[in-house]
Amino acid sequence: MTRTNRESRVTRMNPMNRRALLGGLFAAATVPALAACSSGITSLEGDGAGGGGGGSSKGGVTIGTANFTENQVLGYLYAAALEAAGVKTTVRPNLGTREILIPALRGGDIDLLPEYQGALLHYLDTKATATEEGTMQNALAMLLPRGLQILPYGEAENADAFAVTRETADEYGLKSLADLAKHNGKLVIGAAPEVKKRTVGSVGLKEVYGVEFKEFKSLDSSGPLVKGALKKGDVDVANLFTTDTDIAAEGWVVLTDPKNLIPGQHVVPLIADRKADSTVRKALARLGSVLTTKDLTELNRLVDKDRKDPEDVAYDWAAEHGIKK
Amino acid sequence: MFELLKGLGSWLVSGEQWTGSDGIGHRLAEHLQYSLLATLVAAAIALPIGLLIGHTGRGAFVAINLSSFGRALPTVGLVVLVFLASGLSMWPVYIALVALAVPSIVTNTYAGMTAVDPEVRDAARGQGMRWYQVLFQVELPLALPLIMTGLRLALIQVVATATIAAYVSFGGLGRYVFDGLAQRDLVQVLGGAVLVALVAVVLDLVLSALQRVLFRHRPAPQS
Amino acid sequence: MSVDWSWIADHTDDLTTLTLSHLQAALTAVLLGLLISLPLAVLAHRVRRLRGLLLGLSNVLFTIPSIAVFVLLLPVSGLTRTTTVIGLTIYTLVVLLRNTVEGLDSVPARTKEAAKAMGTRPLRTLLTVELPLALPVIMAGVRIATVMAISLVSVATYIGDGGLGQLFTDGFQRNFPTPVIVGVVLTLLLALVADALLVTLQYVLTPWTRRQKQGA
Repeated sequence: MTRTNRESRVTRMNPMNRRALLGGLFAAATVPALAACSSGITSLEGDGAGGGGGGSSKGGVTIGTANFTENQVLGYLYAAALEAAGVKTTVRPNLGTREILIPALRGGDIDLLPEYQGALLHYLDTKATATEEGTMQNALAMLLPRGLQILPYGEAENADAFAVTRETADEYGLKSLADLAKHNGKLVIGAAPEVKKRTVGSVGLKEVYGVEFKEFKSLDSSGPLVKGALKKGDVDVANLFTTDTDIAAEGWVVLTDPKNLIPGQHVVPLIADRKADSTVRKALARLGSVLTTKDLTELNRLVDKDRKDPEDVAYDWAAEHGIKK
Repeated sequence: MFELLKGLGSWLVSGEQWTGSDGIGHRLAEHLQYSLLATLVAAAIALPIGLLIGHTGRGAFVAINLSSFGRALPTVGLVVLVFLASGLSMWPVYIALVALAVPSIVTNTYAGMTAVDPEVRDAARGQGMRWYQVLFQVELPLALPLIMTGLRLALIQVVATATIAAYVSFGGLGRYVFDGLAQRDLVQVLGGAVLVALVAVVLDLVLSALQRVLFRHRPAPQS
Repeated sequence: MSVDWSWIADHTDDLTTLTLSHLQAALTAVLLGLLISLPLAVLAHRVRRLRGLLLGLSNVLFTIPSIAVFVLLLPVSGLTRTTTVIGLTIYTLVVLLRNTVEGLDSVPARTKEAAKAMGTRPLRTLLTVELPLALPVIMAGVRIATVMAISLVSVATYIGDGGLGQLFTDGFQRNFPTPVIVGVVLTLLLALVADALLVTLQYVLTPWTRRQKQGA
């Protein structure tokens, strides 16, 4: 949830938007199919970008975040760091998956988003093999579409984990991802819908470990659905985040990854060139070097378990670590 | 636009899209199951209420305003609320769908009952018919066209809304919409939407045909 | 499932902002819906062929799940408020078009002929005779569309908007009922208040219907 930010979005309906809106309306009033693909207009690009050039954060930076709580925490941490450096920010929580966010970043609806190295790499190149941080950083710089760039990756990391309950581990003798292949066609995996098409997911598990599941259940990103299903036994294997404190709390077994399918997942800022000035770079680099995996895990716990606002825990943490105005 | 429609074409006709646990066949069956069961349960709850209010004339205020309340109820919120209360089960889906369908059926049943000419009702009573005879032999048949309108309206709403089952991990055609959103696969989203609309239209046609066959000997009392 | 009252007390600012944002989306959609449906309804009322086409099309639109509409609008208007408003407008349009056509149909032919006989021009007849007489039916449509739009805004939470709908996603992700309960209650309240205001507006706008009732 946002405080001041929401208002700015409301007032953002400037005349230009309205014209685009009316144009869209006439297309949309016929059939959604028409609307969905009418020409190549991508969003309201002129909105706040102010044209190309070297990039400037003067007009403020809009931070988009994905549909899981940790990403919101990270979004507000970015906001705290940028505001400490005198940059105006707006955080837009819960926008969706990477598949939705990156086109929005290119289209200008958002300017910055907290990303994860390995996952982003595999989104850009499903065949990517790099797993080491430095190599991935280079690969990312090469692969990113024009207009986008990554900044130095941070200390904190949240990797994907494939976990099973203690009972399932004992019953099937599961220790590593390779063991899953011994039970092909028997086990059900639960993960967010997008994981079905991702390398660090169904695709990679099959290619690297030869694992074939009985069924893929579309659930959520280390959220109530996938964890509920794992607890209830609706799924045997669950795709979770390593920064999820429930893994330890529930005694779930994270399967090891001997063939390094799962790449390093350090948090890395993905930003549009138009906003990437030196103030922004410095502020985010400093945040990245201070925030540890342990910090992030604890912030997640505060939000998920103690029901603190992502915004509050992020700003509090930043203030405690000397990141404030 | 052309790309999307072409994609939709091949999505709909590809053989593998129709088979398996994520195939259209299975998803269609799930969607029908959710929609029909929810509408039946809603009818079982709403019809007696609507008939009773219409027959007695008591509680008319409730009957008239219930459909407005039903429209105001945010389905997403209701689904999440029941999910938090009941955990991972079908309850969130069915409760939300039934809650959506009940108001339209009650309001239309009541409207059908009030459309019955009071003189006809009095004449039936005058002939010494009991209250249940008046209700079932006189009022109900005359109210049927509007009752059917309510049922059809409810079914259309339920079919479109049953999409939400996919949000709380279940199947149905909504699976394509939610998965398509997560994967930004607009062809899949469009495919799911088109199939849902198709199911709604076909079910509505079936109900209206049924209505015509069953009640053709009785001309509707009003236009 | 208990309500955490202190959370509500701590979040009154957020709740106010979300409520206003929610209302803004719904009302914009209803206004746009009215703006578009009026000329279309006049057209459908006058031209028999268009009538079947327009009403049929709007019936089909109604069967499409709203989530899908929002998602399919992403290539057009992106993750913006515009997407929410366009999506909602489509649904208000369906209701408003139908009711406005019915309202225009309900104007007695004799009244229109009387206006014509008096030499009133068609446009003037439309504005001063037909539309005012159709107003009760049109207003019924506005009420339905407004309540529906207020309820539907929350669906846009799946594309990162959705006003009070954001409380649903938030509560869902954190297994936290309080925001969800608050969101449902506030949505119902908004709908109730908006509906009551519209009833009052209609009462003020159509004094002749009151006189008729008293006379009867």
